[in-house]
Amino acid sequence: MLHGVIDLGVIGIAERVRRGEITAEEVTAAALARIDAKNGVLNAFLHVAHDQALEQARAIDERRARGEPLGRMAGVPVGVKDAICTRGMPTTAGSKILAGYVPPYDAAVIERLRAADAVLIGKTNLDEFAMGSSTENSAFGPALNPWDTTRTPGGSSGGSAAAVAARLVPCALGSDTGGSIRQPASLTGTVGIKPTYGRVSRYGLIAFASSLDQIGPLAADVRGGARLLSVITGHDARDSTSLDVAPSDLEAACGLSLKGLRIGVPDEYFAEGLDPEVGDSVRAAIAALEQHGCVVRGVKLPHTRYALATYYVLATAEASSNLARFDGVRYGLRVEPRHDLRAMYGATRDAGFGAEAKRRILLGTFVLSAGYYDAYYLKAQRVRTLVRRDFDAAFREVDVLCSPASPTPAFRLGERVDDPLAMYLGDVYTLPASLAGVPAMSVPCAPTRSGLPVGLQIVARPLDEATMLAVAAACEAAFPCASPP
Amino acid sequence: MAADGPPLFDVSRVATLASLSLDEAEAARFQNELATIVAYFAQLEQLDTRDVPATAHVQLDRLPVRADEVTPCLSRDQALAAAPSVEGGSFAVPTFVE
Repeated sequence: MLHGVIDLGVIGIAERVRRGEITAEEVTAAALARIDAKNGVLNAFLHVAHDQALEQARAIDERRARGEPLGRMAGVPVGVKDAICTRGMPTTAGSKILAGYVPPYDAAVIERLRAADAVLIGKTNLDEFAMGSSTENSAFGPALNPWDTTRTPGGSSGGSAAAVAARLVPCALGSDTGGSIRQPASLTGTVGIKPTYGRVSRYGLIAFASSLDQIGPLAADVRGGARLLSVITGHDARDSTSLDVAPSDLEAACGLSLKGLRIGVPDEYFAEGLDPEVGDSVRAAIAALEQHGCVVRGVKLPHTRYALATYYVLATAEASSNLARFDGVRYGLRVEPRHDLRAMYGATRDAGFGAEAKRRILLGTFVLSAGYYDAYYLKAQRVRTLVRRDFDAAFREVDVLCSPASPTPAFRLGERVDDPLAMYLGDVYTLPASLAGVPAMSVPCAPTRSGLPVGLQIVARPLDEATMLAVAAACEAAFPCASPP
Repeated sequence: MAADGPPLFDVSRVATLASLSLDEAEAARFQNELATIVAYFAQLEQLDTRDVPATAHVQLDRLPVRADEVTPCLSRDQALAAAPSVEGGSFAVPTFVE
């Protein structure tokens, strides 16, 4: 289905705006019109910056009219996950505790987007504090999947994924702690990239689990995702985990030959719990890559089954610490039942946090508490090493790993909300790469018979996003991205 | 969890540590849900990790160190702008020392 100028994609829009064939204002107006028409149903955006976006666009057009060169995202409307701070625009993290909060500064990725002449169109819906796999934990209602509005777009970056899938925007930013970019990309038929841990500065990202959090793109096509990633990548002294490494040409990488590339297919990712149609679709995608000259072989990642428990110990421990800052003192909600500091903390946090945030704060506090730290937290850190070693060993034999990104297609809203463990089990294929800190992405392959999207997960060595994107581009050529009717 | 004795996961103890004033219904719900998840975590005990180092962060060995220099930061007014209560140019909270 055609949606006008948004269908040109990131690169198509940026290059036409740079050449003066279309204006940034026309593109922005088109995106705003799509959002106004669709967001009432999809709830993909929590905030739409109508006036600010048009102002940004006009300023870009004026600079071009004066003959100034424009950046690589010239006039491209970008949705921003609402866990990323935007100066002068509300930033809620999907939580009542931050309702109405307007940050006094931009996240590093937002500075980079502004410098590249992107247009920040609004803030996208998410599970509260990026904790969840369906956006049903958003305090502002779930986002819906544009392929079937009775289903979830996944999470936690579900608003960004739904916005891109419905072509409200050609790309958006998400954040991925245990799969929160890749799983929603898989469930919505979009491209979602989690870069190597350290590639992208988290300065200004509202922290969930700091040893795992990474910002990355969602896009309608692989090359568009590559461009957005290259724009937000780079060293930033304000994030102490930010790597100072030379960038590679990620767009050129999308055209690299795959001849002789070794693809590993981990047996553990095709085990019990995998929807048969998802398995068939992913195997067909791997067979298509074989046609491109790749060599496919089985590999073992034997600690995969321990990744879920490991992740939920470590991520909740870090979350309990990171969310301690929400205490009703410096920003956000305050509830003061009586003139007593501890009562204010407790009442503010009880009123401000939703059920899943509370669950994770309680779990994390438990695994860090005296008497349990060694048995749970330290144990999980040791098992994390075993999970990393699995990847180290596999990457001695193969260049990338291919698997499903999610064991099922998009599930129905409400289906898993009453069973937290069942919800967590949906992340089983994305968590290990997060624990290992390696780059991973989801790219659409053939949909199910009923037309629901399926994502192929591609995992690469640390800092080898280039090879990962080359494989994704080949998959995209075999199974072109579609948009919903 | 042992058949008798205190539960491994005690929601009231943990909620106090986490500064969360849960109501009774919430506390009962979380006690059940989280005891199940803590039991799931027990599978990690199957692995012998005595000689395995812990991973706190990935790739720390490659991280650059920045110079220890004073750099611009938010102004006092900017830092206070989102506070629920401000007095005398500071964050205001209930009295906690007499």
